[in-house]
Amino acid sequence: MSDWSKVTRPIPVPNEWTRPFWAAAKRESLELQRCQSCGHFQHPPFATCTQCISIDLKFEPVRGVGTIYAYTIMYHTGDKRFASAVPYASIVVELDDAPGALMAGNLLGVEYTEAKVGRRVEVVFEKLNDDITLPQWRLAND
Amino acid sequence: MWENRCKVAISGVGYSKATRSADIPLAAHALEAVRGAVADSGLRMEDIDGLATYPELPATGHAEVDGISVVSVNCMMAMLKLPALTWHIQVGTTNIGGALQQATNALLAGVCKYAVVWRAMHNPSGTYQNLPGNMAAGAAQFTGPFGFGGPGQGMAVAYTRWLEKNVQTRDKMATLAVTQRKHTQHNPHAYFYGTELTREDYFASRMVAYPFCLFDCDIPVQGAVAVVLTLADRARDLKPAPAYLAGYGQRLHFETAGRIGSLSSYMEGGSSSAKLTWERSGFTPKDVDVAQIYDGFSASVIYGLESYGFCKEGEALDFIQDGRIELDGELPLNTFGGSLGTGRIHGLWHIIEGALQASGRAGSRQVKDVNVSFVGASAPIVTGTTFIFVKEPY
Ligand SMILES: [Zn+2]
Repeated sequence: MSDWSKVTRPIPVPNEWTRPFWAAAKRESLELQRCQSCGHFQHPPFATCTQCISIDLKFEPVRGVGTIYAYTIMYHTGDKRFASAVPYASIVVELDDAPGALMAGNLLGVEYTEAKVGRRVEVVFEKLNDDITLPQWRLAND
Repeated sequence: MWENRCKVAISGVGYSKATRSADIPLAAHALEAVRGAVADSGLRMEDIDGLATYPELPATGHAEVDGISVVSVNCMMAMLKLPALTWHIQVGTTNIGGALQQATNALLAGVCKYAVVWRAMHNPSGTYQNLPGNMAAGAAQFTGPFGFGGPGQGMAVAYTRWLEKNVQTRDKMATLAVTQRKHTQHNPHAYFYGTELTREDYFASRMVAYPFCLFDCDIPVQGAVAVVLTLADRARDLKPAPAYLAGYGQRLHFETAGRIGSLSSYMEGGSSSAKLTWERSGFTPKDVDVAQIYDGFSASVIYGLESYGFCKEGEALDFIQDGRIELDGELPLNTFGGSLGTGRIHGLWHIIEGALQASGRAGSRQVKDVNVSFVGASAPIVTGTTFIFVKEPY
């Protein structure tokens, strides 16, 4: 299994668009930007709704369950911050509640070979420091 | 059809040596390529009155020094001090293909007569994607913390999506790497000229970011290539046979920064750009005699072949089998070796080969009876920039 213990993850820097996402993650809740005009969820946050161009956007909770949309297994050790964890699975998750809102993460708790397109995953929260908690992923039982 | 169809042509082409290390400043490589292109046309440097480039270095964590790691328009102007210079541009969003299209527009507008377009690429010492620091700001805040560092992983996720959605295996990609390396042996300017690659080499090579192994990635090099562009009437008076530009297209995809892995966005730039190119030129994919498709990562060729309309979505890895992309195949592909053969110089070399094939100047790798020569000069995920060059300007 990938050894994440010596990895130094770069810390996200929230900005005016993304602050509510990280505030929710700190409370171990997954909240995504949602258009108040057409109901569309999107991620990463953007200036306008990518469906209807409305600027009336708010963050709303979503269930932390979805499927692996895509993945890669990293072997290259050029990024020294992650070199101790190779090979590891970086995945892209499509949430059940937010089709099209693709979230990047790592598949934790299993061998990297378990990453496959279509596999069911659920969110787990990984605290980086007092301000930032990362949404991460493990295989779901459902 | 485009009213300016076949009114502009590529004339001369030039190359610097492609080297692994940066022994001489990049500006010297760019100068060599530009001088080569001007001489190939039979022009004198003082005839050149237009300059265009896209100077970006795709590496991260390295200082940008003009003349060392990039060669800007300003740098080229300072070297050449062209007495007749009337037009210049440095493009931002559309890669080197966009620079060539802007030069085309300037020629059609009559604001310059002989434009030179160059692409110079630096290979910094140390780690190419040197991702420093402990913070992830901007779009990287949603990717950096999970080890999505360089562009390779962004390409790799779309590739796994494509493979598993279409029930395909990466083994079939060996055909692309091996065939292109075979083509490379006809291109003395290429970095891998003189170095063979077998299927066994491909399968034995180390994994970089699954599904990409070493030979799915172009090797970083230091080098430059250049072309001379002019109106068709003027091109006919120059030394080489012209390659007439029958049509072009460009399009970014509708994607927001930081969203990765979406296969449809990889296809969108390519299909939109190609649609414009087919409409403007009056040709269809079936008319194409030879194709160059950007291959910085091998999977870009999949997105290219499918989004440009050469095969259906999900079929590209089968399409490239059975000799179809050989020099005597149904669709000879990346006949100069592609970026996988030349080293990482980006799409201007694809454009050069498209022009050489159209004008019958490709030497021992010349495809027989070429009239319609297609070029997809950039990865569709970044932007689609597509071209058709023809031998006969009808
Ligand atoms: Zn909306």
